[in-house]
Parts: sequence; C-alpha cells; structure tokens
Amino acid sequence: MAFTLYLLLQAALLCVNTITVLHEERFLKNIGWGADQGIGGFGEEPGIKSQLMNLIRSVRTVMRVPLIIINSIAIVLLLLFG
Amino acid sequence: MPASKRRTPVSQPGMADPHQLFDDTSSAQSRGYGAQRAPSGLGYPAPSASPQAAFLADPVSNMAMAYGSSLAAQGKELVDKNIDRFVPVTKLKYYFAVDTMYVGKKLGLLFFPYLHQDWEVQYQQDTPVAPRFDINAPDLYIPAMAFITYVLVAGLALGTQDRFSPDLLGLQASSALAWLTLEVLAILLSLYLVTVNTDLTTIDLVAFLGYKYVGMIGGVLMGLLFGKIGYYLVLGWCCVSIFVFMIRTLRLKILAEAAAEGVPVRGARNQLRMYLTMAVAAAQPLLMYWLTFHLVR
Repeated sequence: MAFTLYLLLQAALLCVNTITVLHEERFLKNIGWGADQGIGGFGEEPGIKSQLMNLIRSVRTVMRVPLIIINSIAIVLLLLFG
Repeated sequence: MPASKRRTPVSQPGMADPHQLFDDTSSAQSRGYGAQRAPSGLGYPAPSASPQAAFLADPVSNMAMAYGSSLAAQGKELVDKNIDRFVPVTKLKYYFAVDTMYVGKKLGLLFFPYLHQDWEVQYQQDTPVAPRFDINAPDLYIPAMAFITYVLVAGLALGTQDRFSPDLLGLQASSALAWLTLEVLAILLSLYLVTVNTDLTTIDLVAFLGYKYVGMIGGVLMGLLFGKIGYYLVLGWCCVSIFVFMIRTLRLKILAEAAAEGVPVRGARNQLRMYLTMAVAAAQPLLMYWLTFHLVR
C-alpha cells in the first residue's frame, strides 16, 4: 500500500481547505453551527459540537492567509510537474 | 568589535574561558593561531616559515578569520539556544534513558501483559521517573528500534519472495511512518474534541503507538519461518496483547480520575472517554494486520 508521506500532505492540505471553505453566514448559521450559536454556560464541559464549532472557527481564522500561499504553491507545482 | 573581544581570552592557550572548552577544536586552534600571528604580523614582516604561515600572518586575512570564527561561534550559540524550541531535545533525552533490563522487561510486558498488576507511572517531585527506573514509563527507544527492524524485516520478507527492490524499503518505511502520523493526528483530534485533560503528551502518544511494531516484527518473522499458520497465530497473540496493553495504559491516562479509584466508569463523559480508549486500542491490531499481511505469502 503506497501510502507515502507526500500523499498524507496532500490529503491534509485538502482537508484543511475543506474546513476553511465552510462559509460562516451562508452555511454554518443555517445548520446551527455558527460560531456564536453554541455558547454553553461557564463551568460546564463543552460538548463535542461546540468543540467542533470552535475548531472550525479557529482553523478558518488561523489558516486563511497561509492557505492562500500554500495553495498557490501547490497549484504551480502541480501545473509544472503533474 | 567581537573579533577583538575574542582575542583576549585566547592569549592564554584557550583554557581561561570555560566557554572555549565546548567549542570545536578547529575554531579554537585557528583563533589561537590567528591571535598569535596578529602581533607578529603587525610588528614584523610576515615570517616565511611556510606559505600557509605567510598567508595567515597577513593582518587582513587574520582579522577576517577571527571575525569568521566568531560569526560561526555566534551562529552555533543561536542554534543551540533556539533548537529547544523546535525539537524538544531535553525532553527527548528522557525517553531514551533506558537500560537493558528495562528493555527486556518491557518487551516481556508487550507480549504478555496479563499478569502485570500496577500500571501507574511513578512520579518523583512532579516529573515522571526515567524509564530506566519504572517499567510503566513510555520510552522511544523500543519504538524507534522496532520501526527500523520492521523495515528491515519487510525487506527480508520481500526478498524471500523475489519481490525485493531497494526503493521498496523506502516505500515501506514512509508508508509505516505515514500511518503513524495519521494515527497520532487522529488521536490528538479526538482527544481535543472530547476535552480530555490528560498529561498525555504527543511524544508519549508516539511512544505508545510505536509499541505495535514489536508485535508486527514477531508476526512477520514467524510467518517467514512457519508460513501463514505461524503468522496468523503469532499475530493474533500479539494483537490481543497489544490491545490489552493499550487499554490498561491509556485507561490511566485518559480516564485518570475514574481509573485511579478503580470504580467502573459511568456517566456520559466517562463513557465517551472509554469509547475513545477502546477505539484507539482496537485500531492497533487493525493496523498491525494491514501493515504486514502483504509481506507474508
């Protein structure tokens, strides 16, 4: 099974792209996964759903600009080397 | 100017400054050489003992060499200071503090974990004890050695079936490494989602996940010696052992409060953590089979 590290990098890039692309207003709010829709009370353990929403929001905030750069590099490399 | 600052301690033969003791000898020698040449170069014409001496007696190249060696020393200091930020060298040293008895006992534990009673890691003033003194502590020596041995054994197995070529070794290695990385990322993600407050560091996790290579090596070797029957028998045994080992080890790390008292876990949160532990432990036999079945025909 030729599961190389390069394949893993590609898969990671695609997954991060997927998470970043989920639009806050058009999509996440409509299915109730908006970032400001799940605030539980303090002192309570956040459930999986609110952790996921937090994760999506953080990934979107942190990776927006680096992803532009990395995606451009990937596009150029794929165009050149197939 | 750094060059002149470096020249003063080297006027004695390099022993006055303790910092000099750890520099590599080439730069210390050249610095000492350059400093001794400098006063002679400035005062007298270049002594022509040898062409190299004449070259080094030239004050400009002298200064250049002193400056260059001071730059190198500064760069080395910078790297030494910052390497700890990217590669936690001091923390890694803890994981390799093993001795033969520990390795032997740990291998025995990996193949037969059923009789071991106490799985707690001993602490010594808030830091875990080195693996040399506590058999329950994770180490990176066994996983690293087992990984390399696995790649070699895979090459051996492929060779006995006339399927070997040198690039296949690299392919096996990177495949196993990729699966390991994927496992670590998946477990870290699920630990984050379930909000477990553990002291299970990433390196600990890599160590625990690397223990399955031992079972894999055993299975493939038996498969080479005794064919498919031997392979399935030994792999089945090692799978069950690793399953029990992982559950007993992770239970203490992930379900810390419940397991410490010995009560059976109850409650939604603890149940989720139990499922997570079982999922991690169940993934080990699956991966062990997936990474070795194509090696044994």
